Amino acid sequence: MLKYIIKRMLWVIPTLVGVLIILFGLTCMLPGDPASAMLGPRATPELVAELNQRLHLDRSMPVRLGYYLAGVVTGDLGTSVWSGHTVSSLIAEALPHTVLLAVTSLGIAALIGVLMGAYGAVRQDSPVSGLVTLASLIGVAVPDFVAALLLMLLFCIQLPWLPSMGAGEGIWGTLTHLILPATALGIGWVGYLSRLTRESMVDVLDSDYIRTARAFALPRKAIAYVYALKNAIIPTITVIGLGVGKLLGGAVFVEIIFSRPGLGKLIVDAVYARDFPVVQGGILVATVLFVLANLLADISYGFVNPQIQYD
Amino acid sequence: MTTSSTTPTSLPRLTPPWTETIILALRSVVKVKGGLLGTIFIGIMLACAIAAPWLAPQDPNAQNIMARFAGPGPGHLLGTDYLGRDILSRIIFGCRIAVLVAFGSVTLSAVVGVFLGVIAGYNEGKKFDYFIIWLFDIVRSFPQIILSLAIVAVLGPSLVNVVIALAFTAFPFYGRIARAQTLAVKETDYVKAAEAMGQKSMTIITKHITPNIMAPVIVCLGMDMATMIIWESGLSFLGLGVRPPTASWGIMLRNGYKYIQVSPWMILWPALAIALSMIAFSLFSEGLRVALDPKERQR
Repeated sequence: MLKYIIKRMLWVIPTLVGVLIILFGLTCMLPGDPASAMLGPRATPELVAELNQRLHLDRSMPVRLGYYLAGVVTGDLGTSVWSGHTVSSLIAEALPHTVLLAVTSLGIAALIGVLMGAYGAVRQDSPVSGLVTLASLIGVAVPDFVAALLLMLLFCIQLPWLPSMGAGEGIWGTLTHLILPATALGIGWVGYLSRLTRESMVDVLDSDYIRTARAFALPRKAIAYVYALKNAIIPTITVIGLGVGKLLGGAVFVEIIFSRPGLGKLIVDAVYARDFPVVQGGILVATVLFVLANLLADISYGFVNPQIQYD
Repeated sequence: MTTSSTTPTSLPRLTPPWTETIILALRSVVKVKGGLLGTIFIGIMLACAIAAPWLAPQDPNAQNIMARFAGPGPGHLLGTDYLGRDILSRIIFGCRIAVLVAFGSVTLSAVVGVFLGVIAGYNEGKKFDYFIIWLFDIVRSFPQIILSLAIVAVLGPSLVNVVIALAFTAFPFYGRIARAQTLAVKETDYVKAAEAMGQKSMTIITKHITPNIMAPVIVCLGMDMATMIIWESGLSFLGLGVRPPTASWGIMLRNGYKYIQVSPWMILWPALAIALSMIAFSLFSEGLRVALDPKERQR
């Protein structure tokens, strides 16, 4: 187990090196002269020369890769071509909004999903079981950006109840600005998690140790929600772990639609502005978070399920 | 999903031609609950994509400023958009983009992924194998939508570049499935027999291994097509996908978002089109999974 964890953690290093090489390679793939591409129509020879020097674009490829890697290792992600702010300060400003959104939506989705799935498995003919099927259908049919648009249409335009833009200020403002984006992101997860929990719970309720527990005349509720759920929830936990990583980088659409100043919006706005240092830095941070979430999910899987043998 | 048990182990059989395999699979999909519905839906989508110019009541790009933002009515069955273009015609033409991107990117990523995965699996433990695993892991460690965004940002938005970008984000998933399956299949008797007979590695890979690892890959193809349709819409929604005025569901949503205050129809119809195609593909791929899994079929 310990050997597996160490091996798994060490493997992250070459992976991240590869990620950096790809990110670096992306800017090299820019057609033509990268500096003019980034500056667009406003490129004057002086500006291009200045930018070339600032980003070391006048040096050879391996030297630039060296500069880039050295910068990343020392925590220097470069500066925005447009605003002149450091990329790390821009990310530090954006990240809390994304983290809050991802954690809120997935947390609530997990709570609702697991409860719904467990109840739906215990009472398979109850309306809740039908609700699980309906929720998973919605989760499949309505991707987050479509959900975001529909929610905005309904609750900001047709019924002007909730704010449609920004992240809000103060506790009340933050909350009201969080409701719609979090719902849009979480609604698919409710369906997915509830169905996953229900399926695994049905399997577990069928197993021998539950039958034994019943034979001992333990209370039905205790059997279902303590003995069975503890094991049935294992696949769900892994999926939630992966989900956090996915949402941190994948809230792009919802952030754009609700003009929430998070990481996804930062990256997309930088793509529009061809501000490649920001694009590179933003993607790097999203990717590192994603990799770490995957790592945690993998390792936690071993802890919650001692049956798993690692070689 | 990737259980190696789906691969029959006692198989010294001749592989049936591809068309026959596909017909067989379709026939069993239709028998699965919901599979028929999914197949019909996808059939309609394909028909719309192929026959769009004949099915669409109007030119999808014909503007009529006098009739902009019209609701559903007799002249325009689903209403018109901000330039007075017929929404129904644009939805039908949008099927083309959805189908093209879905099939194009899934095929490209499956071909590249399976090719690399099989070769890596066949050379298990060698340097090439480790290199391929490393490559897969690098690409898989990016959040997919962000990686495709970055690639399109570099290559420039266009239909072909969207297909390339989406295929690039997905090929490691096929590669890993193919590699895992190859590890199981290459230990089977018929592969050993082929090796003992002195067949070339390339022949063994193409004739004996690849046809026998395709079942789980095909199941993933079905599910991935739905994902690709979503992402094409998403990229187009951000203005980083297909170029306007091409009718794509994502572009229609983008315009609907701009005029969200004025007309709900510009959002509702493309959203419905996406929802229906998602349901269709998920029913179809669920049917495919059951149809190709001998254990499930017995249930």
